[in-house]
Amino acid sequence: MATTAKNMKGFYKQTKSNITGGISKSKPSSRKVSPKHAATQGSDATQPAALISHGSLDVKGTLLLRKDYNFSFSIVMCLISNALVLMEFNDCNGYDEKEEMLRQFDMNMAYGPCVGMTRVDRWERALRLGMNPPNEIERLLKTEKVQQDCLWQGRV
Amino acid sequence: MASMEIDSEKTHERKQSDYTCLDERFEIQKEMYRGQQYSQIYFARLHLMRTLLYSLAPSWKPHLPVCKVLGLEEGKECIIVGTLFKHMKLKPCVLDEYSKERSVTPLVKPRNFMHPDDSLILEDESGRVKLGGSALSPAVYVTGVVVALHGKETSAGEFVVEDVLEAGLPPQLERPLDHLKEDKYVLLVSGLSIGSNSSNPLLFQLLVDHITGHVADDEELGLAAQIVHVVIAGNSVEFPRKLLTGQNMASKDQSTLYEPIKELDIMLNQIAAGVSVDIMPGLNDPANFALPQQPLNRCLFPGSAPYNTFRSCTNPHSFDVDNIRFLGTSGQNIDDLDKYSEAESKLDFVERTLRWRHLAPTAPNTLGCYPFTDRDPFLIETCPHVYFVGNQDKYDNRLVKGSEGQLVRLICIPKFCETGVAVAVNLRNLECHTRSFNIQL
Repeated sequence: MATTAKNMKGFYKQTKSNITGGISKSKPSSRKVSPKHAATQGSDATQPAALISHGSLDVKGTLLLRKDYNFSFSIVMCLISNALVLMEFNDCNGYDEKEEMLRQFDMNMAYGPCVGMTRVDRWERALRLGMNPPNEIERLLKTEKVQQDCLWQGRV
Repeated sequence: MASMEIDSEKTHERKQSDYTCLDERFEIQKEMYRGQQYSQIYFARLHLMRTLLYSLAPSWKPHLPVCKVLGLEEGKECIIVGTLFKHMKLKPCVLDEYSKERSVTPLVKPRNFMHPDDSLILEDESGRVKLGGSALSPAVYVTGVVVALHGKETSAGEFVVEDVLEAGLPPQLERPLDHLKEDKYVLLVSGLSIGSNSSNPLLFQLLVDHITGHVADDEELGLAAQIVHVVIAGNSVEFPRKLLTGQNMASKDQSTLYEPIKELDIMLNQIAAGVSVDIMPGLNDPANFALPQQPLNRCLFPGSAPYNTFRSCTNPHSFDVDNIRFLGTSGQNIDDLDKYSEAESKLDFVERTLRWRHLAPTAPNTLGCYPFTDRDPFLIETCPHVYFVGNQDKYDNRLVKGSEGQLVRLICIPKFCETGVAVAVNLRNLECHTRSFNIQL
């Protein structure tokens, strides 16, 4: 069980930029591992990334691709249960400190309602109305790959 | 433009003037609808007006603190700034259709929805508070006005108002004294209603003849030559609504439907050939419903559109003639105020909108409005010299003086089809008079 706990930590540490989608290659070091520890050794950056990309579960994809794995039934169940736990935390997918900063910007009452506007438009409106919004937000929105719509877009 | 003279030696030339159209703030070309709600326009309105009221508060009541609604403490005297909301019992609500009681709904809607039990609530982004006290009369105010209130909160949770601060007249551009040596007139007319049962085509033809100078009297010719600009403030056509049944229209009906616009185009052609003319859309015109109404399409006026003196404008409309700022609407904003508040005369409503610095405070609550996200185009930032409202029942005018020396002429333009009256404003001294046309057959 300690091995699966380590798995969870590994999942949580994944940042959005590391997600590469379904196709991934294993590192050479994992090949010499005995089947009992296959789950831990196999959980390098690429494989869990496949599972948590954009909240969708891609277990089938990983099972097909990992031809070199010696999957025993219990290991498969571990992976599936981890993935199912992750699915409950939909918001946590790719939820990093940049998104946290943008969400704080969304929720800040001083800049007005956030629903119905893209974050960039709201920032520019705040600038035009003389509210001096932090430049960091503009830099994040314009230069980095972050969610352009506000937190509640499509949900309310 | 020299007019045709047969008998007298003197030829009258039409006076010239500089014209600048300032309708850019009312145009919607650059806006995109992304599913936003009206909270955005209310936020923009509150923020801009609040910044203004915060700057005026220290000179109004210097010793009082300013706080937000959520920061109110019981018994503490302070100033709060927010948007007013008037809770009206008789205001028609779409949910009434679904109410379980199904009580008898009157078939004839009352013209004015006021009731003695109406109450005012002040709201800002942190919260709302019920207003009490006698300093603020619910009969005068409407939803959407941003004011500063001095008072204190009672134990009942109500805010008792002791004094009200409105934004007041905005700053006005200096009008050079007596910069014009001669009289020049801008003619304002509205409610032509071509195509309606009550309009007489001969009456409008008389007006057109007067403007273009096709008159016999020399003195009248002189008057006509002094007109430098004509503004038609809304409701120029009235379509035969009985043809619009929702079924496919026969081709005969289609050409009948189009008749009023064709007639208007012919008349505008005659006017545009002689003087610069602006046409604004009104409630009954083929333009969009929500304010700001966009200009009537140039395709509707194939004869007049090629003239550079013809201009299709937005409603509300703002323009400069010889450095005199004009601002006007086709009447929807004042008619809506009339439904939800009361005053002794229509000019009181007009003056109130100027003192509140907002052309249409009831938009978007009861007046259709486009959901702007980053601005409120109805805020009056510069005080006009002439503020006109079209399609009113009778002619009225008033000169309003502001605290900083502003001078505004308020004009209610009557419906031309009913009264035969057009209003002429003298650019030299802001005086106005009527020109009435009458036919008795």
